[in-house]
Order: sequence, then C-alpha cells, then structure tokens
Amino acid sequence: MDDYKFLFKVVLVGNAGVGKTCLVRRFTQGLFPPGQGATIGVDFMIKTVEVGNEKVKLQIWDTAGQERFRSITQSYYRSAHALILVYDISCQPTFDCLTDWLREIEEYASCKVLRVLVGNKIDREDREIPTHVGEEFAERHNMYYLETSAKQSDNVERLFMQIAEDLMKQARSRDLPRYNSNHQNINGTTTPISDSSCCSGKFINAIVIFGKPTACIHCS
Amino acid sequence: MDYTFPEKFDLIVVGTGVVESMLSAAASRVGKTVLHIDTNDYYGGQWASFNLETITKLKNDDNSSSNVRNPLVLEENTYCLGNNVFNVENVQFKYHIPNIPKKSDVSEDTSNMELDEKWSSERLLKESRKFNIDLAPKLQFGRGDFVGLLISSNISRYAEYRCVSRIITWLNGKLHVVPCSRADVFSNTNVTVIEKRMLMKVLTSLNDPEEDMKNYENQTFKDFLIDKKLSPNLIHFILYGISMSSDETPFSEGVGNAKRFLNSLGRFGKTPFLYSMYGSGELPQAFCRLSAVFGGVFALGQTPQGIIMHDNKFKSLKLGSQHLEADHLIMSVDNSPQQFITGVEKKYISRAVLITSSSMIESEKEHLTLLFYPPENGKNTVTLIELGSLTGTCPKGLFLVHLISRQNISPEEDFKHVVENLFLSEPFETPEENETARKPEILWSAYFSLPDTSESDLKSNVPDNVFLCPGPDLDLDYDGSIKMARDIFKRMYDDLEFLPRAPDPEEIILGEDEEGE
Repeated sequence: MDDYKFLFKVVLVGNAGVGKTCLVRRFTQGLFPPGQGATIGVDFMIKTVEVGNEKVKLQIWDTAGQERFRSITQSYYRSAHALILVYDISCQPTFDCLTDWLREIEEYASCKVLRVLVGNKIDREDREIPTHVGEEFAERHNMYYLETSAKQSDNVERLFMQIAEDLMKQARSRDLPRYNSNHQNINGTTTPISDSSCCSGKFINAIVIFGKPTACIHCS
Repeated sequence: MDYTFPEKFDLIVVGTGVVESMLSAAASRVGKTVLHIDTNDYYGGQWASFNLETITKLKNDDNSSSNVRNPLVLEENTYCLGNNVFNVENVQFKYHIPNIPKKSDVSEDTSNMELDEKWSSERLLKESRKFNIDLAPKLQFGRGDFVGLLISSNISRYAEYRCVSRIITWLNGKLHVVPCSRADVFSNTNVTVIEKRMLMKVLTSLNDPEEDMKNYENQTFKDFLIDKKLSPNLIHFILYGISMSSDETPFSEGVGNAKRFLNSLGRFGKTPFLYSMYGSGELPQAFCRLSAVFGGVFALGQTPQGIIMHDNKFKSLKLGSQHLEADHLIMSVDNSPQQFITGVEKKYISRAVLITSSSMIESEKEHLTLLFYPPENGKNTVTLIELGSLTGTCPKGLFLVHLISRQNISPEEDFKHVVENLFLSEPFETPEENETARKPEILWSAYFSLPDTSESDLKSNVPDNVFLCPGPDLDLDYDGSIKMARDIFKRMYDDLEFLPRAPDPEEIILGEDEEGE
C-alpha cells in the first residue's frame, strides 16, 4: 500500500531559460543545477510533503524542452491539478509571452486547474519587471503570485507547499478539477457535481496501464 | 521564436504521425540526437485529433494545396518537401441543425424539460473545445503489440484509456450485441441454450485449430463455420464480430483474427479493446514527449525550404537561414518530395464522423461501442466506433461516431446505406415521431478520404538514408505501424534496441527518504 493519501499533478510552463527545471530541482532535490545541461530522461519529479498530518505526493512535470519552439504536447496539460506559469523578472520578453501561454493553458488545461504565476530569479540585480506589474497581471488573470529565487532557495518551498495546501483544501471541499470536462463550460463557470458522479466518473474508470489513476481523491 | 537550431543531428524527422513519432522516440531513447519538426502547428499530421473549430483547417488545406510550398526544384540537388498526392481529400462538413437555438414549443410540458435547449450549431461551437475528433480513430487489443510496447517502454504513463464496453453487429435489419466472452455468451438472451453450447465449443476449438488447419487450407473461414453446423446467427457473430472477417476471408486468417480477439479478452474489460482518452491524436504525442524527455528537439509550424542531396543521399535540411545536417532523414509520406514517390499507387480510406444526439443502442450507462457493419450489396465492411463524453472526445449528452471503410466510390456513397439505416439525417419535426424512430439524430457530419499508403512501396525511389513513413491504415490498431517503425529502426540502427524501458522517476531521484511504489 502507498503511504500517501493524495497525489497531485503539477505542471510548469513558461519560456525557455526562466528557471523551471531549477525550481523543480531545488524543491525536490534541494540543489541548484549548475549550467543549462538538459536533464535527459527525467520526465517528472516526485516529492512527498506533509500537509496537516496528511501525506501528499506531488508529481511535478517539466516541459522537456518542448517550450522552446512552442511545441508542448497537449497531453502534458491533461489531468493537471496545478499549473505554474514562470517568467524571469530580469527578462521582459519572458513576461510578454505570458499571454501566449495563458491562451495555450485555456485551450488544453482544465479551467478549474489551480494557476500560479511565478516571477523567478529575484537574486538578479538587473530586474526588468517590477513586483507590482507581476502582481497586477496575476490578479487580472485570477492567479496566485509569488516571486522566487531557485538559486538562493527563496520562496521555493513556500511555492510548492502553498500549492499542496490549496489542492488539499480543494480536495476536501471536492472542488478539484475532475477532468469530467462535461461539467465545465468554456467561460469557466461550473455546475454542481453530485457525489455520485465521482466514482462513475472518468477518473476511476480510466485505465492507466501499469499504474493507477493519477488521482481519484474521492475514493481514496 | 528566434532560437537557432544546432546544425548537426543524427536524425531529422519531418512529420509527427504515429510511425515518425515512434521512430523519434526510439532514436532519442538510445542516445541519438534528433530534430523533430512538423509543418503544421499541431501534432499528429494525418493521425491528429481536432476540436470542432480546428477541424475545418482540413478543408482550407485541401483547397489551397498548401502542401506544395514551392515549385518543384529550386536549385540542383535541392528537393522541395511536400507533394499534392497524399492529401486528405473530399472534405465536407455539414450542420444538420439550425444556426441558433430554436425556442421549443413544448416547454409547457414539464416532462420535456430536457428538450428545452435544443442543439444548434452555435451551441455546438460553444462546446468546440470538448471535442477531440480523430482523423484516424484507433483501438488497441488488450494483449496486442501496442499495449505491449507501451508497457515495455514505459510510455504508458502519458495516456489514459477506456475500454470498449460492447461490440455490436447489424443482423437482419437490427442491431445486436455480439456475445464475446463466456459470461456474455451465457447472459445473452438472443442466443438459445443449444446455440450457446455450440458457440462455446467452436470458440474453444479455435484455440487449437491444428486439425482443421489442413482440411481448410484453401477454404474460407465462413466455409469452416458453416461446416460446424452453426446457426446463421452464430456464424454472423463469429464471422463479422469476433473475427472481424468478411465472406472471402481465408480460413487461416479468420482463425488468426478470432484467436487474437479471444486472447485479448479479460485483460482490461469486457471486450478486447482500449481507446485512448482525449482521442487517438494523443498517442503520437506520447511518443514525442518521450523523445523530448530524452533530448529530442521539437518544433511545430516549420516550413523547410527543401532538402539538399549529395551523391544521391540526403545531406541537409534547409530551414530558414540554416542548413541542418543529419545522417538520416525520416518523413511522413505526405511531406515527401515528389521525386521519391513517383509511381506510388493511390488508395483511400473512406471516413465519416457524426455528432449524434443519442447512442445507437440506448442504455442507462454510457457505452463505448464498436460496430462491425457487414458487407452489403457490394459495399465494403464498415467499422463504426461510437464514443461518449467519458472518453473526453465530446460534450456530455452527445456521441461521436466514426465510420471507417476501404474507399470504393466516395466516403458519402460508401457509408450511405449505413447512415440511412442507423441514423436520422434530418431532425423530425415533432418529438413523438422521433420517439418511434428511435434512431440517433445527426447534428453534424464530416466526410473525407484519407490516403492509405500502408501497403505502398515507399522504398524504391528513396535514397538509402531517407525513410518514408506511411499514413493511417485500415487496421483497427497500431500494430502495423509498430512493425513499420521497428523495420525502419532496424535499417538505421541494426544493433540497438527499439524502445527499451524508460526509467521511472523514482529510479532517477536521489536523496529522498521516500520509497517507490
């Protein structure tokens, strides 16, 4: 038996070079990888954290370099519970691309997915995007906002712990994206989901070959 | 984006169809450097899935012949990519419902509450994003090569699946559920007790057909079933349902099909088949993701100016201002320069997609249905796959029906009899009439022809270090595509393993006090 109660899929997006992989490695391994060497063979990283005496397993997916030419596969976004959109506070173009990323997120991710905007690299002295600009953008698009430094480990733990806590809260109030897209309209409004829809819903019936459904938190 | 590509790769892949994507993953997996591009801004090429809006791209592409990007030869030794030979053809879309919602007259009657909001094209388009419409819908045998490969290579984590929950057939002007498992046979009320015994006996004997092999060497599978003194119903179930055969299918092939079917029973669900959630277009992407995880460089929406040849071998790809060299080049056949495909014969698969208002056989629980419509009056067998909202390919309350057949005349002609027998093309005026007819209403339809190059000669006019990958075939599954990919992989890297198991993240991560599963 697994010793965790919840498993959440967290995905990162944002331009190449904003520090997505560094954030993941800092959090999961506690290190800051030197250089920009691609991490061959690493699909996602896993870290189990504790939220209020419950074990929560975070499965954190990185883009595998497919963001460089805007070629992220749709399945990357499928079944994500939280989405971290990252830009580099010292690089204006990475901020300018956020709207493009949001468009892609709207297209493929569940509209109930927890969205967090992260301004990374606050250790840098050549900041181009003031904090309030990031905050305003996040507010306008209904996202959380946090500034981090993967290099100095500022706010990285907090970022992922916040996500774990929020997802737990949502799970408890049964408000987690359930990937029964039928219950969601394009404009993001939702209709109530009855309890009975859960275990007859997609999650538990979907077959994940050689594994288990990423989450049917309601039945666990 | 203005990144530049590295200038030297082991392998360049153009096109993100199933065969190309498997090869891309296989090469990256064993440490080859791979550049994988597509001229489209989406994955999958002729294997892609679209939503209700984006599928209309097909029509535009078809008309503007955008596949040929430049006149044939630019300079000596430079070939243009793309040809006008292997496009999706005969594309037609039609809404069978009004543009805007019609106010229902029966709204006073509370029992008709559900009818209050009728489907209109406007309402369908609002839900566009919930559709994942496959160009080439595929099912997988539970114990087929594809599922085997997903598991052995550890690619299974990129996709989720649903089981086909029932198989039906068209017999004597009615739809019948095909009993496929032992439990099904015994719970089926349309089959008499004697028939049940006979059916079980034959199904068991198929597992060990040694004896019959010799006797029926030159006969059809149908001859064999008739000799077994089976009732016409049973012959129908076994021939068209379980062995997916026709009247002419030779004995050995029919037995092989039936065995394959029976072998895959009971692994995942009530039928041997799995369907990938969010559409078949997810599967090529799963291989692309694996390729990227192992270092493959991906770029969609690229327009290469051509390929440069040297000594009748591929030398480099001209992309923007860059010349990208590689030892090998892999292309989907629709991206092939005209020069490589002279004399390749043209064949087509007839396809139709219907959005319907209800299931072919209504039931309390949503089904994922497979129907083999037997050959009739000179028409080929038609395979129908009916998908409900639980597959993530259409909104709740609607069904997506895929029709597939070898093209005889045109998609519309080839499916006319099936569509007329099973569906209502024009909505009836009053609900009462509709009730009596009990056929699903068609809200939207699409017809198109997919080029079938699976049996074409894609080697003769092609340089040694270039490989062409066929588009979708008529098979239900991807096993033919795997064979093709393995074959090309072997020709490139004879001594290397094809898609060895990828490590689990748990195996890579160090310094965690947490144990694996």
